[in-house]
Amino acid sequence: MTEIKRWLELVEKICVIIGTLVYLVFAVVIVRQVNSMSKIVHDKFNLILIVFSYFHLAFAILLLILAILLL
Amino acid sequence: MPRAKDLDTIAPDDMVSAIPSVSVPKLKKHKKARSHSVETQRDASLPLNPSSPLKIAPLPSRSADLKYRQKVYELIKDKTAWPLSAFLARPKVFNFDGQNEDEEILLVLRRHWFTNLHWIFLTIVMLVGPMFLKYVPLLSSFSAKYQFVFILFWYLLTFAITFEHFLSWYFNVFIITEERVIDIDFYNLLDKKYSEAELAMIQDVTSKQGGVSQTVFDYGDVLIQTAAEIPVIKIDQIPNPNLIVQILQQMRGEERQEELEGRQK
Repeated sequence: MTEIKRWLELVEKICVIIGTLVYLVFAVVIVRQVNSMSKIVHDKFNLILIVFSYFHLAFAILLLILAILLL
Repeated sequence: MPRAKDLDTIAPDDMVSAIPSVSVPKLKKHKKARSHSVETQRDASLPLNPSSPLKIAPLPSRSADLKYRQKVYELIKDKTAWPLSAFLARPKVFNFDGQNEDEEILLVLRRHWFTNLHWIFLTIVMLVGPMFLKYVPLLSSFSAKYQFVFILFWYLLTFAITFEHFLSWYFNVFIITEERVIDIDFYNLLDKKYSEAELAMIQDVTSKQGGVSQTVFDYGDVLIQTAAEIPVIKIDQIPNPNLIVQILQQMRGEERQEELEGRQK
């Protein structure tokens, strides 16, 4: 029974890591998207939006590290 | 060789006397630096003798297209230039890729703020969602570590969804410059569309408003039919659609005036 529970926890952990990895890719796409949009349309808040996208990427990386280390 | 005076008896090989004319160079279009006081131009290579029989043809007056432009400025004068507005009149900071150096931006339009309410509401619901977990124990079967990671993930996802909606609103712009209209659409993360049409190519402009919210908050669609490669440019849910039609009509009038006067494009 404990063996099954251990396997289930491992599967859970792998699923969470895959999920956070996919999310990390999504965060990278957002950064690329904001950069490409900012090249076409230049306005006052572009820099703030770029900074926000990088913060989001940093949090996505943090989430992946947490998923690997904490779980 | 005697010159034929009577045009009825003129032979094909007869020389015809004519008043020597000076070809007036077309005025280069430089709208931003337009000095409407300049009325005539002459060829620099010609002699400056005032008794010369050569007559310098006056350039067409610009008062007519100045009138059109003044009308446009009057139409947008009380509109905002705040960067997060859906109706940006003559913005100082805004510019776009492909803009000419001396091209003045008259208007930048985004979707009306009312169209953003659905995702603002969604964001609020997602933000307060985890607070209801103590009443609806969806994550209770997981350990505290998993619950922490899930909640962190949830808030990141909330931020990403909100950010995506905001980006979609902020960067999908319709621009009216003194020379053309440009529609920049980013459909999703990877697809974008860039349409533009010269003002002279615009054939017809119509606005469409329907429903309670559009009538109450004065927003709607504008359809621009063009003779350009893209036959129709549709601008969705912009504020003051009737005003946009008026502005485009004025700008078309100005372009027509310039065409009639034969100014260079």
